[in-house]
Amino acid sequence: MKRNPTAFLREEYNELVEKNFDWKLHVLESASTPHAIVDGKKVLMMCSNNYLNLSNHPRVIKGAIEAAKKYGAGSGSVRAIAGTMKLHIEVEKKLAKFKRTEAALVYQTGFAANAGLIPQLVGEKDIVISDELNHGSIIDGVRLSKADRAIYKHRDVGDLEKVLKDADPKYRRILIVTDGVFSMDGDIAPMDEIVKLANEYGAMTYVDDAHGEGVIGPDGRGIGAYFGIEGKIDVEMGTFSKAYGVVGGLIAGSQDLINFAYNKSRTWLLSGSHPPAVAGAQLAALEVLETEPQHVKKLWDNTNYFKKEMQSLGFDTGESETPITPVIIGDSAKTKDMSKMLFDNGVFALPIVFPMVARDKARIRVMMNAGLTKKDLDFALSTFEKCGKQLKII
Amino acid sequence: MRIKIGFIVNPIAGMGGRVGLKGTDNKLSEAKKLGAKPTAPTKAKDTITEFIKNNKKSDNIQWFTCAGDMGENELREAGVTKYTIIYTPNSSVTNADDTKNACRELIKKNIDLILFCGGDGTARDIVEVIDKRIPLLGIPAGVKMHSGVFGVTVQATARILDDYMNNNLTVGDVDILDVDEELYRKGEWRIRFYGNAKGIINTTYVQVGKATFESIPEDNIKDELAEHIQEEMKRRPDTLFLLGPGSTVEHIAKKMNLKKTLLGIDAVYKGEIIGEDLNEKQILELLGKHKDVKVVLSPIGAQGFILGRGNLQLSPEVIRRIGIDNIIVVATPAKLASTPFLRVDTGDKNLDFLFYEKEYLMVVIGYRLSRVVKIQKTINFNNN
Repeated sequence: MKRNPTAFLREEYNELVEKNFDWKLHVLESASTPHAIVDGKKVLMMCSNNYLNLSNHPRVIKGAIEAAKKYGAGSGSVRAIAGTMKLHIEVEKKLAKFKRTEAALVYQTGFAANAGLIPQLVGEKDIVISDELNHGSIIDGVRLSKADRAIYKHRDVGDLEKVLKDADPKYRRILIVTDGVFSMDGDIAPMDEIVKLANEYGAMTYVDDAHGEGVIGPDGRGIGAYFGIEGKIDVEMGTFSKAYGVVGGLIAGSQDLINFAYNKSRTWLLSGSHPPAVAGAQLAALEVLETEPQHVKKLWDNTNYFKKEMQSLGFDTGESETPITPVIIGDSAKTKDMSKMLFDNGVFALPIVFPMVARDKARIRVMMNAGLTKKDLDFALSTFEKCGKQLKII
Repeated sequence: MRIKIGFIVNPIAGMGGRVGLKGTDNKLSEAKKLGAKPTAPTKAKDTITEFIKNNKKSDNIQWFTCAGDMGENELREAGVTKYTIIYTPNSSVTNADDTKNACRELIKKNIDLILFCGGDGTARDIVEVIDKRIPLLGIPAGVKMHSGVFGVTVQATARILDDYMNNNLTVGDVDILDVDEELYRKGEWRIRFYGNAKGIINTTYVQVGKATFESIPEDNIKDELAEHIQEEMKRRPDTLFLLGPGSTVEHIAKKMNLKKTLLGIDAVYKGEIIGEDLNEKQILELLGKHKDVKVVLSPIGAQGFILGRGNLQLSPEVIRRIGIDNIIVVATPAKLASTPFLRVDTGDKNLDFLFYEKEYLMVVIGYRLSRVVKIQKTINFNNN
């Protein structure tokens, strides 16, 4: 057949542009610091996931530099062949200690963890039960599995139990998977109740704690610590790319889980291992978390102050229980206007609109950061006030 | 974008209900004698008023309507000054023929959407002429509103129109239901499934990038449902599958190269249709020959009924023999979004109670994907 084999590339891209669905990439011309230069403009960074500002911490940077000097720029191989360095093992040991689990494993990214592990945990004759608002990487992990899938209402344990009751006699293995902290609203999965239910029905539990690690629980040890159920969640999955300030996915759990996971996850087996600089920075980030509790405390002080002041200005900050602070505006077009006006006035915060959130719940999502000073927050508040009044939101 | 809306009011719709009649069709004088007052014109006017208040693009609408209380007066009272009269009824007392005649005129005008005010009878009259040519949206004002074209309230209808104008909703199949006239003449009150029309439905989105979503056509999801059912049939080669009525199940069958009736219940065994448009007796006969039976159903109409509307062949005895755990309910997410509950009205209170006791059913919403949907207790229309 005579066809233009690559015409779709441009056609589909143009279609996205037409619908305004294409990503217009913003370029950082500085480090990802609270005061950053984005697209040539000095702005207050309020949409990074660098919660604790660890990507700029001298000890973390030093960890990266020293590891690179000592072990080189790359690891030379995948982990399974010749790419497992002593440094990688050290990170995993420290991570397990920090998470208070038997063992831990580092994946190349968080996505690689979800996409690699979930389809191995369940297959034919099994079922995955998933919160309706789970992150896209979980959804893709589930899609790669041959298991049946059921969805329960967001954070609704009653709904979950109904699915469990129905699934219990029909399936071999049952896996309950949920985000720990949901990235759109900043609300937390009722993990204690989920684990309790899972135990009743003999189901496995899997939590994606990407937005919880380094943020919630004592010393930022994540959702297990937050509910006092460390070691009781079968798979605690997370990422080094958010609060830890580096990059990489992780899982923490039993030694059995880790042995199974690295022998079976194709994403882990078939991707090169992290460069020494990455592992060195991960190790240093964990050390900082263990020895400098002030960062987590500062993050929460900032969060509480900002939320309270935003509310007294008349903004609706939703049901968030975490530093993810949605500023709910409602109308999608108005939300985009607000984001643009904020940027012009020196505050970088992105709009989240329908269909990512309900039609009347479009919002600016502010990600709080431990590196912001009170002066910074006051500047952000006055800018929100000014723009909000101009657009008649408050 | 200019959009052409045809606007038809059935001014006598709903008058029978207020005075205890089960409809107004052929009963107008009786209803009037009993003191019935027209309510449809007010509902129609309120919907337009509400819509104009919220929609910024309502100036872009070209209205086509009928003279007098069949649309003109309501539009004018709601503040619409520009409209085209396409039909004038012969008498001040209008009837079904007037609705149908108006529809014939609307077809000539290349209308984008028909907004009408009435009940199931009005919807049926319109569909008889329009078929699936033009999408419909109904302002609920009748005695019976089981069809899937109606908004739940005046406000909800205005909101649907607003969302549709803003491209947030899409056009898809909806069911048209009404009282079964044959049975009604014999004194029995039962709701029958008459066929499909085009209506305004929710859009299902999938995430394609981190923050990019695409709407998936309803048919693609129905294809997924078909794949699911096909696999289910392969997994259980000795099971008899009864396929219920409605466009969702019809699509599933079509995808499997099975010729299924839209309104009836058909039986499939080992990949072949072995019975078409079966009645209760024929189904019972089949149940005598087959031990393992599953029935595939989709909610019919506006209120989420899976039993008791449009599939009376599935009598209480049939359902008991099949077993309620052998009912597979399928629905697209868009359909579930508009009918968040499932309802049953089997005519057998004890059987209905078994469903209520279960509280919920797992509904298949994609290929090997399901979710919990609550079963809502039904107000029994049979005894009113």
